[in-house]
Amino acid sequence: MVSTDLRAFGQTKQITRAPRATTAGRSRTGTAIANTVGVIFTIIMAFPVYWVINTAFKPANEVLSFTPHFVPQNITLDNFRSAVNAPNFLLDMRNSIIVTCGAVAGALVVGFLAALAIARFRFYGRRALIMVILLVQLVPFIALLIPLYLMLNSVQLTNSLLGVSVTYLVLILPYTVWTLRGFIHNVPRELDEAALVDGCSRWQTFTRVILPLTGPGLVATSIYGFIQAWNEFLIIYTFNSPENQNLMAWLLQNQTLRGTNWGPLMAGAVITSLPVVIFFMMIQKNIAAGLTAGAVKG
Amino acid sequence: MHAGKRQLTVPAQVLARDGSPSVSTVEIDRPPAPEEPPRRSRLGMRQERLRTPLLLSLPAMVLLAVMLAYPLYRMFMLSLQDMKLRHLISGLAPPFVGLANYTKILDDPVFWEVVRRTALFTTTAVVISVLTGIAIALLMQRVSTGVRIAMVTSMMFVWAMPQLVSAQTFKWMVDADFGVLNWLIDLIPGVDFAKHSWFADPMQGWVVITSLVVWGAIPFLAITMYAGLSQVPRELTEAARIDGANAWQVFRNVTLPILRPLIVIVTTLSIIWDFQVFTQIWVLRDSKPENEYVTLALYSYIQAFGRSNYSLGAAIAVITVLFMLGVMAFYVRQMFKIGDAD
Repeated sequence: MVSTDLRAFGQTKQITRAPRATTAGRSRTGTAIANTVGVIFTIIMAFPVYWVINTAFKPANEVLSFTPHFVPQNITLDNFRSAVNAPNFLLDMRNSIIVTCGAVAGALVVGFLAALAIARFRFYGRRALIMVILLVQLVPFIALLIPLYLMLNSVQLTNSLLGVSVTYLVLILPYTVWTLRGFIHNVPRELDEAALVDGCSRWQTFTRVILPLTGPGLVATSIYGFIQAWNEFLIIYTFNSPENQNLMAWLLQNQTLRGTNWGPLMAGAVITSLPVVIFFMMIQKNIAAGLTAGAVKG
Repeated sequence: MHAGKRQLTVPAQVLARDGSPSVSTVEIDRPPAPEEPPRRSRLGMRQERLRTPLLLSLPAMVLLAVMLAYPLYRMFMLSLQDMKLRHLISGLAPPFVGLANYTKILDDPVFWEVVRRTALFTTTAVVISVLTGIAIALLMQRVSTGVRIAMVTSMMFVWAMPQLVSAQTFKWMVDADFGVLNWLIDLIPGVDFAKHSWFADPMQGWVVITSLVVWGAIPFLAITMYAGLSQVPRELTEAARIDGANAWQVFRNVTLPILRPLIVIVTTLSIIWDFQVFTQIWVLRDSKPENEYVTLALYSYIQAFGRSNYSLGAAIAVITVLFMLGVMAFYVRQMFKIGDAD
């Protein structure tokens, strides 16, 4: 029955669509031109991405060749090997993981509680809190860098992973609160009330109703936080000494210190980008929606 | 994006909603049989209602206050002092100098040069990227499904790439000796681009920087606009067509007015982002940008961390915030409209 319904739906769609093609005057040459432009656009967009991967898999003599090789002649993992074996690479990777996971876990706990308060209660200071959360996202990051550096320095937290973790936590906190607020808001309030009426305590309502229902939201939000913290380099590069960096800062330093060794650098870039790219693909829809929420329909 | 949408993640809100009936019935049908809860007085309930949200939001409030609000205040105070490296090392209180930093900055022609450069870059980058974004969104509506999937996929990869990595990629592509761009341009008969340095002439250098920023911004803009375009009711555009409007008139009089709120939001965001441009220039110029490539954000950073003039850097940052305040206020007002709607 479902399938027939779908077929009927498809047919009506086709019927309404058929005349449109003629009224819109969409000629076949028009589509061909559009397709050509679309393909050229795709190539321009994709080329730099391809070029990173291409360079990463090329042997050194092909990287440094006056005539670029658009397809690597001899695919090799040498660049990856020298990137991983380069000084500090593994250490910085470990730092990246520690700092990012610490910041995301912290932001998730703190952010979820605050989001719960904003989404479920009317209280004095609620509007002010929302205001702060929206405003701080816009504060130029560079403006916070100087005072944060001085503050952390005065409590001996510069050149430490803890100081950087806390800073990242706070930087991803506003977004975390704001998106989780939306996810909690989407859980019907009647469910909480029903649970309360049935004898659940507030804590049980939270763990048995709200938490399971916002699970996907928590995953999406933490992935977004992960991407932000993983991609950050300026704070750790400025606050910490060269042996206490993350992967992004490793890429930056590797570029500046000893000329540029493009093959291993691009291989390092591939390794560094991989988790972010995978995670990004998983949640891209939420990112786009979050930034412009309601601008069209609202 | 109809075709592209299918491969993208299902919005988590939908998942949460779909999951709700099962979870709620299971959990609520079997309450954890507590001992009869003590009946709270009405006053007690009220106090709890007041206390709970404050307790919940306390950790976030404290963190935001200590790590964001206080630093902002500190930055402002710092801009009225004269903090140097020796104060940082000795821990001595820096002297209060009033508005001296501000008068020094505002009297400095170099500063105004930086402001002019930042404004020029922001305008150019925002105009090009927003217009291209709209054009690509319209193109996506016009192409065949396969081409559209290719366009969306390529844009997703660009969007996902960390800013630092894309900046390094561009740096590699415009490399004077082995860069692929020089080789490509050199193919044109009669043009000699071998060993051409793109950053010797600031004009060309800025073309590279702007291309990088625009290239990185297009995915967000085009995909958001395309999603916006799919909200435009088909009946409206068809009616306009039947009434004899040509493609441009349909776009100008039907599509654009509906898309306007979205365009306003993404343009505002683009201004906020591009005005603070840092990473791209920092990477392309090897972490030591020449004077011709310094924007406000870089200027503040170099003063503070390059020359240990923390107060001067803070004053520049305060001025930067003031410059952006108008645009930010506008954005917040828009966000509040949305926030109040639910």
